[in-house]
Amino acid sequence: MSELFEPLLRSYDEKRRAELVAAYMAVEHAAEPVPEVRFPALREPALRRTLQEMLALTGRTLVRTTAKGGPTRWISAYRDDVAEALAADPACVPPPDERAVLTLILIHSVAIPRAAGLLPDDSWLSPYPTPLDELRRRSQLPIGELEAALRRLRLAGLVSQVKAGPDEQGGFVPGPQFHRLTEAARRRLQEELILAAGPDSPLAAAIRARRHSRARAAAQADARRAEGARTDAGQADAAEKTDRGEIA
Amino acid sequence: MTPPVPPEVLARARARLLGAPAIPVSEPVPPGLPTASDGSSVWLLPPWPDGATPALLEEYDIAPMPLDRPGQARRVLAAALRCCWTRLDDAPWPGEPAPVGDVLEVYVRMSRGDAELARRWATGELRRLHDTGWLLLDEDTATVRTGPRIALWPEGSLGPLRDLVRRLPQPPEPLPHVDAQGGAGEPVEDPGE
Repeated sequence: MSELFEPLLRSYDEKRRAELVAAYMAVEHAAEPVPEVRFPALREPALRRTLQEMLALTGRTLVRTTAKGGPTRWISAYRDDVAEALAADPACVPPPDERAVLTLILIHSVAIPRAAGLLPDDSWLSPYPTPLDELRRRSQLPIGELEAALRRLRLAGLVSQVKAGPDEQGGFVPGPQFHRLTEAARRRLQEELILAAGPDSPLAAAIRARRHSRARAAAQADARRAEGARTDAGQADAAEKTDRGEIA
Repeated sequence: MTPPVPPEVLARARARLLGAPAIPVSEPVPPGLPTASDGSSVWLLPPWPDGATPALLEEYDIAPMPLDRPGQARRVLAAALRCCWTRLDDAPWPGEPAPVGDVLEVYVRMSRGDAELARRWATGELRRLHDTGWLLLDEDTATVRTGPRIALWPEGSLGPLRDLVRRLPQPPEPLPHVDAQGGAGEPVEDPGE
């Protein structure tokens, strides 16, 4: 048994504790966002805060999804700062062929139907499968490598396979992991998709300009902090010298 | 500015992302993560509160992450358990390595239809079960072992599983001419030449 959550769970009675555990396992392992009404630990704000703290211990957070007129649902995702740190770790990033295949599926199954007004703006799930032939033609990957990439993407829940029906063509759509996106992750993905699908579009230019100015602002903030640290150190040094009576 | 992610939090998130990754026994384990060890490696496992498992989702009628062919995956895992979980009174982890051929044979005996096709399906499934940490497949030696995720099965849930594994077809008996006796399978030089 894991002791990791004990400090957070200790103060709750058995019933509350079981409710927290149930909600934790549900948001971490469900295929889709789970309805709030089914889990007291999602419904009650105080319990939900504890649940959020439990998730934070492993770098996770709660994501709320509310379909128009539908019930409130919750699922878990990586916290944005954690996702950023993991993305900087080469061992945690899928290899280029998997990323290429996933990008093609997002363009074909999401970006194109969205541009045609067939998909709502905020959905990353799609009923429009990308046919295997399309992936083979566009990815230019040998079939063995393409199939291996699809196998790993399916195992990771990033891609789902749609069987061909009597009237529909089979293929691949974004998988259940696309439920697990924070607001910031959705925005980033949306921007990446614009950069991939229309690199020369005015929208892509605007995204690049915004990122550039954001990076410059961050660099300036870093420089200011470094300057502040130097000043602090100087002051501490001076204070210490004063204490020792070196500066009178 | 947001403070940096605490290293132990990042280490736990990384373990989740990599899915039960193995580290050498000499390396420190991130605090708060349960582990499974076979003596030479340590696998980092998900920290589930109060011994809960994802089976809890069934009680709430919530669908878990989908598998491509869940029935087949379960049967191949069962066939592997039949071969690797040889001492049923013990826990199934770490179990014993078994020849892949034995696991395929048990699977064929469990299923109907074309045996050759069943072997091919089961071979693909063994790879997927390896990728997800349920089994450890060594393709060089053509052997398979139970995977570190199996160490998470609570003792209380093993009773029905033991009964089930007992009822499965037996792995084939080892052939009588074993190499240990003097290289029965090796080419023998003709002394007369």
